[in-house]
Amino acid sequence: MALPAPTLETVTTIRQDGSRQFIYPAAVRGPFTRWRALVGVLLLAVYALLPWIPVNGNPAVFLDVAHRRFHFFGLTFVTQDLWVAFFLISGLGFSLFYITALLGRIWCGWGCPQTVFLDMVRRFERWIQGDSLTRQRSDQHPTSATMGLRKAATQVVFALFALAIAHVFLSYFVSIPRLYEMMRRAPGENWGSFVFVFLVATALWFDFAWFREQFCIVLCPYGRLQSALIDSDTMVIGYDNQRGEPRGRKGTPDAGDCVDCHRCVSVCPVGIDIRQGLQMECIGCAACVDACDEIMSKLERPKGLVRYDSRNGFSGKPRRIIRPRILLYTALLLLGATAMTFSISTLRPVTVSLTRMAGMPYIITGNEIRNQYLLRVLNKRNTPQHFALTLSGDPKSLRWSGGEEVLEVAPLGEMMRTIVVEAARTEVHESFPVELKVQSLEHRTQIKKTVPFVGPGY
Amino acid sequence: MKSPSEDNDRVLRPHTYDGIQEYDQRLPNWWLFTLYGAIAFSLVYWVFYHQWHAGLEPGVAVESELRNNRELATRGAVVLDDALMWKKSQDASIVDAGKATFQAYCVTCHLPTLTGLIGPNLIDEYWLHGGRPTEVINTITNGEVTKGMPSWGPVLGKQKIVEVTAYIFSFHHEGEPIKQAPPWVPGQPMQVTTPTAGN
Repeated sequence: MALPAPTLETVTTIRQDGSRQFIYPAAVRGPFTRWRALVGVLLLAVYALLPWIPVNGNPAVFLDVAHRRFHFFGLTFVTQDLWVAFFLISGLGFSLFYITALLGRIWCGWGCPQTVFLDMVRRFERWIQGDSLTRQRSDQHPTSATMGLRKAATQVVFALFALAIAHVFLSYFVSIPRLYEMMRRAPGENWGSFVFVFLVATALWFDFAWFREQFCIVLCPYGRLQSALIDSDTMVIGYDNQRGEPRGRKGTPDAGDCVDCHRCVSVCPVGIDIRQGLQMECIGCAACVDACDEIMSKLERPKGLVRYDSRNGFSGKPRRIIRPRILLYTALLLLGATAMTFSISTLRPVTVSLTRMAGMPYIITGNEIRNQYLLRVLNKRNTPQHFALTLSGDPKSLRWSGGEEVLEVAPLGEMMRTIVVEAARTEVHESFPVELKVQSLEHRTQIKKTVPFVGPGY
Repeated sequence: MKSPSEDNDRVLRPHTYDGIQEYDQRLPNWWLFTLYGAIAFSLVYWVFYHQWHAGLEPGVAVESELRNNRELATRGAVVLDDALMWKKSQDASIVDAGKATFQAYCVTCHLPTLTGLIGPNLIDEYWLHGGRPTEVINTITNGEVTKGMPSWGPVLGKQKIVEVTAYIFSFHHEGEPIKQAPPWVPGQPMQVTTPTAGN
């Protein structure tokens, strides 16, 4: 039984009665497939290695949730810096829009973890169970014992792959040494982490074993935005109608270059026919490009009947890369990147707060009025920092004490000091500002805090 | 195989508006399964929690767990008395912890030597608000706000206050006389020569 032919109106992988139609994408060879395999392996390597590479004494990426310290390539962010995440998240989102306007769904085809994982999963499946046709036949007819064994082995490999990914994922939050320590202990000792890893692994395994392209077609919102994000000059994968149509076998008079071999359909991992045009399901994996190029080479016809091109390019109109939308996006992206760079570069290595001590706002002793403050200095760097305090205010009689010496604050540590300020009662008759300067001796940062000095009646 | 133009799979809704008709394809069964699954779960949840009261509702469960934790935290807590505080004042690790806290918060007024300047001397035998360790804990916790001693309870918490007190009493020894200090003038040496100051 052949698979149903793809149409524009229905999703190939969902039958008319709502049940799932499994597809068996055929293996494909070609330059895009090779490059994508390389990119995929590199991305997996980066994912697996980032928690292992120490930068400034911490893993390159370590989201230390327990201590609320977030390490990125040597930079350490504390919870107080969370607002920077606005730039990170909106920047990532906007970059995706920008890339989509230029290059279509290049992210889906080359960078998305779902695609990278599924490429590996399909490779495992092909190595263990055989090619597309073998798999399809064994699913439709009673399977032999060896095929049953092969299928079980495939599931074991999927589960191991899912477990590996889930463990690496946890290590981003607890670091590798802690992960290793937890792995050697009984699950009950770290019940939360254990359940987390196995829930993630189970979800991944379900994705690998059953869900697959349904994720991209039904769950992921990005594909749905495609028509809003691209225009006629966006690079997409498409079929050259003018060159290909009318389809016909080799030798048919007046036929176009497409021989209707269905190779582009049989290799498609989401079950569409690219010759029907750009579709929401298309993840831009370029399998059909390699497939068609291989056939065209055999027919000794020029490659690129299915290729990366813009819709204008396919209809023979001039291609444009620079267009108002791209100029606007570039300007906005640069603006955002500048704001982000600026805000990260001005992130203070220290947080200072100076608050009035609870209780009496002022104390009168003889001729002196006394105000008391609590100073809190938080070192946001993972090296010790030293600070010098200076306090100033208008009255000549102003005296202060608490923190005259150089203050050392431990890495990522917090220090408190009581600051007492006194002024002569005869000199001060109204509230005046007191300014405390906290000068970092390691960095050029100087933080000024101004608090009012108060007395009787003011 | 049929060609795409055959359109056998089209399901159109009869409703037409401005000449536009809608497709009416079936949802994936797995999608419907999540919907029916959620409905089934809510029924089980409703019967389990609200009809049979077989389990504690999550909100109530959190409350009761918090209550248990509070009980656990207080259970086994030793009553702090002067004898225990004297013992703590001999424990180097407690005294060191107290010293660190003292140097952060207290030295501004009581000086690193504990001899006092803005606040009173803490190592002589004269006391303004009681000289037994538990009385000193009370003074630190609640403060003497009119004199400028803030109430440190909310800032430091019980453990740190006990440590600081242990540090102060590491400069004293059990059984030494406790004398009532005369009224305190901040910033001036304490008037302790008057023998009438005894309590």
